[in-house]
Amino acid sequence: MKIEGTQEISADRERVYSALIDPAVLQRCIPGCEKLEATGENTYSARLRAGVGSIKGIFNGAVKLEDMQPPSRYRMIVDGKGQPGFLKGSGEIALDEKNGATLITFSGDVQVGGTIAGVGQRMIQGAAKMMATQFFTAIEAEAKARPDEPPPTHGFFRTALRWFSGFIRRSVAR
Amino acid sequence: MIPAQFDYIAPTTLDEAVALLSQHADDAKVLAGGHSLIPAMKLRLAQPQLLVDIGRIKGLSYIREEGGQIRIGAMTTHYQIESSARLREICPLLPEAAGQIGDVQVRNKGTIGGSLAHSDPAADWPAAALALDAELRAVSSKGERGIKAADFFVDLFTTALEQGEILSEIRIPIPKARTGQAYLKAAQPASGFAVVGVAVSLVRDAAGKCEAAAVGITGVASKAYRAAAVEKALAGASLDEKMIAAAAAHATDGIDANGDLYASAQYRKHLAAVYARRAITAASR
Repeated sequence: MKIEGTQEISADRERVYSALIDPAVLQRCIPGCEKLEATGENTYSARLRAGVGSIKGIFNGAVKLEDMQPPSRYRMIVDGKGQPGFLKGSGEIALDEKNGATLITFSGDVQVGGTIAGVGQRMIQGAAKMMATQFFTAIEAEAKARPDEPPPTHGFFRTALRWFSGFIRRSVAR
Repeated sequence: MIPAQFDYIAPTTLDEAVALLSQHADDAKVLAGGHSLIPAMKLRLAQPQLLVDIGRIKGLSYIREEGGQIRIGAMTTHYQIESSARLREICPLLPEAAGQIGDVQVRNKGTIGGSLAHSDPAADWPAAALALDAELRAVSSKGERGIKAADFFVDLFTTALEQGEILSEIRIPIPKARTGQAYLKAAQPASGFAVVGVAVSLVRDAAGKCEAAAVGITGVASKAYRAAAVEKALAGASLDEKMIAAAAAHATDGIDANGDLYASAQYRKHLAAVYARRAITAASR
């Protein structure tokens, strides 16, 4: 499945770029991310807890950043699996300056398999869009915060968990 | 197809149920008709630790008229609505939409409240609730509040219901005289879910022109929505074939459509305009 989109962030490009490749920031911004650890240069292992509501699905995976050209573009490769299914994909992330703000363009190809793909096919695109929006909203808050300020707390975490439990729950045909 | 272990409590009053929910917070899940939740649990996609079954609570299953409104209890099944002669008379959109949900088993057990609270992006009730300008009543340990259908659906499987709230009742203004309604859907052949579903409720003036129209569309985006541009084009218009087609062409204005293996986003947008035209035509007869 193709995932494409643009997101404008009202913060300067260098700040946005450094937020996007900072593991500590990513951990705070990726919906449900419990752990993101460097395992090598630009490679990370990640753990996502997909909800505390009706779901206790945990996904483990690896993230790799490639072709890094700060502050304009990089490539991300993701490979993860959990009890509800697996996910593999790669995508380009490009950052352009636009009237003092940053325009992020992402495009990638993701394969989803396992139970989620089998029974929740029709929901995947909507789910991906929703997670992307939550992620970039959080990144924007991070990039706008002053460096000496403590990182912002994200109310979206709870929303993400609620959403994800709903997603998984409804990922079946009636 | 065997769910993970879970606890089960069947309270007999709504107070008890909301108390349980606030006590167990994120671990608890409300069980209504169980035709979305139970299959998900069997696949172990959902693994709630506690099910609060509201099916034993008396007085959550009814259809009555009160205060100029139709009031439907959250545990009222799709079949009860489908088979209500009174609704067929005063608000035919409800039984028409109910009759198109899933299959006989789903309609016999599934509930209107469960479906709305679940907010599946392809469910039928959200479109009808929007077109009928429904008000959804939510009860929690802190009290009761009403949420307009237009504010209720937030995103994919996300509603305005807060943690600890239970949807208790659906209130719909009794349609005025000269109201025409229709619900038409293109059903996914395997699941029965709407690829596109369009609910229309329109009021005509004495001359036969459209006075006001409400159009709810499901299946296209991450949540059901009111097609405001269609409604605007219909207001004050004569309901001839050409006008209807022109209005229906706005069915997905400003909407971010989703695609899947069965129907691409572009195809869904096309279908939405076609079904909007047919539903408006049916409602204006």
